[in-house]
Amino acid sequence: MPIVEKSLVTVDRSDRLEMEGIDVSGDWNTFLRSRVQTDLDVRILDWVRSQPQGDTISRCWQCGTCTAGCCLHTDYGLNEFNPRYFIYLAQVGYEEELRKYATTIWRCVSCNKCVERCPKGVKVEEVIHTIGSYLEFTGGAPESPADRFDRAYTENLLRRGVLDEASLFRTYERLEGRTMPAGEMLKMGFQLLRSGRLRTGPLAHRTRGWRQFGNVLREKLKEDERRRRASLSAAGGRGGHSP
Amino acid sequence: MNPILVLGAGPAGLSAAAEIAELGAPTILVEREAYLGGNPKRWHYSLLAPDLRPSDEILGPLIAKVEGNPRVELHRSTTVTKAERLPKGFRVTLKTGDALETQEVSAVVLATGFDHFDSRRKFEYGYGRYPDVLDFKELEGMIHDDRVLRPSDGKPPRRIAWILCVGSRDLQVGNPWCCRMGCAVSIKQAVEIRQKHPEIDAYVYYMDIRTYGLWEDLYWKSMQEYGVKFIRGRIGQVTIAEGGSQLLATGEDTILRRPTEVPFDMIVLASGMEPGTGTQEAAALFGVPVGPEGFLTPNLSDMNPVDSGLPGVFLAGAATGPKAIPDSVTEGMGAALRAYQYARN
Ligand code: SF4
Ligand code: SF4
Ligand code: SF4
Repeated sequence: MPIVEKSLVTVDRSDRLEMEGIDVSGDWNTFLRSRVQTDLDVRILDWVRSQPQGDTISRCWQCGTCTAGCCLHTDYGLNEFNPRYFIYLAQVGYEEELRKYATTIWRCVSCNKCVERCPKGVKVEEVIHTIGSYLEFTGGAPESPADRFDRAYTENLLRRGVLDEASLFRTYERLEGRTMPAGEMLKMGFQLLRSGRLRTGPLAHRTRGWRQFGNVLREKLKEDERRRRASLSAAGGRGGHSP
Repeated sequence: MNPILVLGAGPAGLSAAAEIAELGAPTILVEREAYLGGNPKRWHYSLLAPDLRPSDEILGPLIAKVEGNPRVELHRSTTVTKAERLPKGFRVTLKTGDALETQEVSAVVLATGFDHFDSRRKFEYGYGRYPDVLDFKELEGMIHDDRVLRPSDGKPPRRIAWILCVGSRDLQVGNPWCCRMGCAVSIKQAVEIRQKHPEIDAYVYYMDIRTYGLWEDLYWKSMQEYGVKFIRGRIGQVTIAEGGSQLLATGEDTILRRPTEVPFDMIVLASGMEPGTGTQEAAALFGVPVGPEGFLTPNLSDMNPVDSGLPGVFLAGAATGPKAIPDSVTEGMGAALRAYQYARN
């Protein structure tokens, strides 16, 4: 095969061609604007790896099996939901690009097909949630409806130790600044009851001994939050709003 | 000198037996199958990578060297059922059909080889369920006989896909190692098919292409001269396409960063190498340590890859890990020399 020799010295040419200030005459070493990347952030990978749910991230070799089977990626055509790509961005540290998906990443429905199939034993579902947590804790993502729902869900559960779907729905609607007409609400409640998705019905339940247990749980959540912040500042993270 | 026992008559065993005989020592060559030549013979391998020479051209002369050689005592359809250590060598019991026979041997060469991964275990690829999903060893036979037709309807395929690393590099089936030859053999098959049938389109789904060393040439050629196409992504599942006559390979094209579902007439699985049942039995019989992968472990794999570390027990070929035919032949030669030196002293 012939070796193509390229001259390193710019020859004196009179037919220099410029377009919009860019030299496009095709000489060696011309044409390129600087492409140096300064935004690679190793803290993402370090932090995700340091978390018990995230430590398998470094096994990933980007085969795409997880994405191939992900129901969000295929069935719902949510092409920007791509677990393999999220892992790649976190591994290499393309923080800016990753942040574009800070909300999308939470669309995962935890079906775990990816975990079943990954040839390298990456706990994909946990890993991408850990990446999502990083983005959230470092405060780059605007709060999404999903975030608000999560918040309402957790608070609802903490109140009595049993999820109360009816009040959860009301709270969430309020957070979104909406109110559903009573008729609609009844209709939906009836449908949910019939399909077995609504367990509590109109009665308020409570887990036995919830007062003590709930307190322990609240303490634990606070403790987790403290630890997360500590690990984030250890990893040099920026801190941010709490979940 | 008592004869030297060679266990297994694939490329490594044939090469070992031929070399021992060449050195002037008597050899007993034991093969569990009724034929000589091991897996390449069993599955009718077609052309062998990287030089694309017919397998018979390579195995034929090796077989001829041992068949009819007065110094090689051949036992086909025979297994070793017992091995007792002697001050020098072993007393072994050979079983042919129902007949038992005891022999004293001065050293043994274990060339018990590998088994192809059973692709049914990778159930999401549908092997064993969909007739047009083939294992690449079956395609070898088809190419060998120049009858590349869809098993389902006997029609010639228009578009074929190869899936690499089936049963290799995969913790889900417990096989983390690389099979070393799947890339080269798949690409070689694609080249062979494109050579004879340019109307058939060939696609290879890959994570990495490992045509190591000089084999890289085959990979380059496949694109430059034969127009084989490569898609980077591991296939997640194979299903039946709408209409029922084609297969649908679902994966992510990681370069496009989007899902791909392409209909194919035939899908070929590059199944990996696992330690053969013969290898596991030999390990138990002669007390050779096996690694976590189940292959026999040489004592010093870098300095002395054919020594087991046990007196009088030598190793050759794919029994110690995935290996290509030329490497197996070389190891057969090495093991022959080491066994001869041991037996002579
Ligand atoms: S399947 Fe596993 S190894 Fe492959 S891209 Fe997904 S996480 Fe990475
Ligand atoms: S667990 Fe989440 S990422 Fe994994 S396949 Fe299911 S939806 Fe996709
Ligand atoms: S040789 Fe190729 S097909 Fe075989 S395991 Fe290695 S990368 Fe996969």
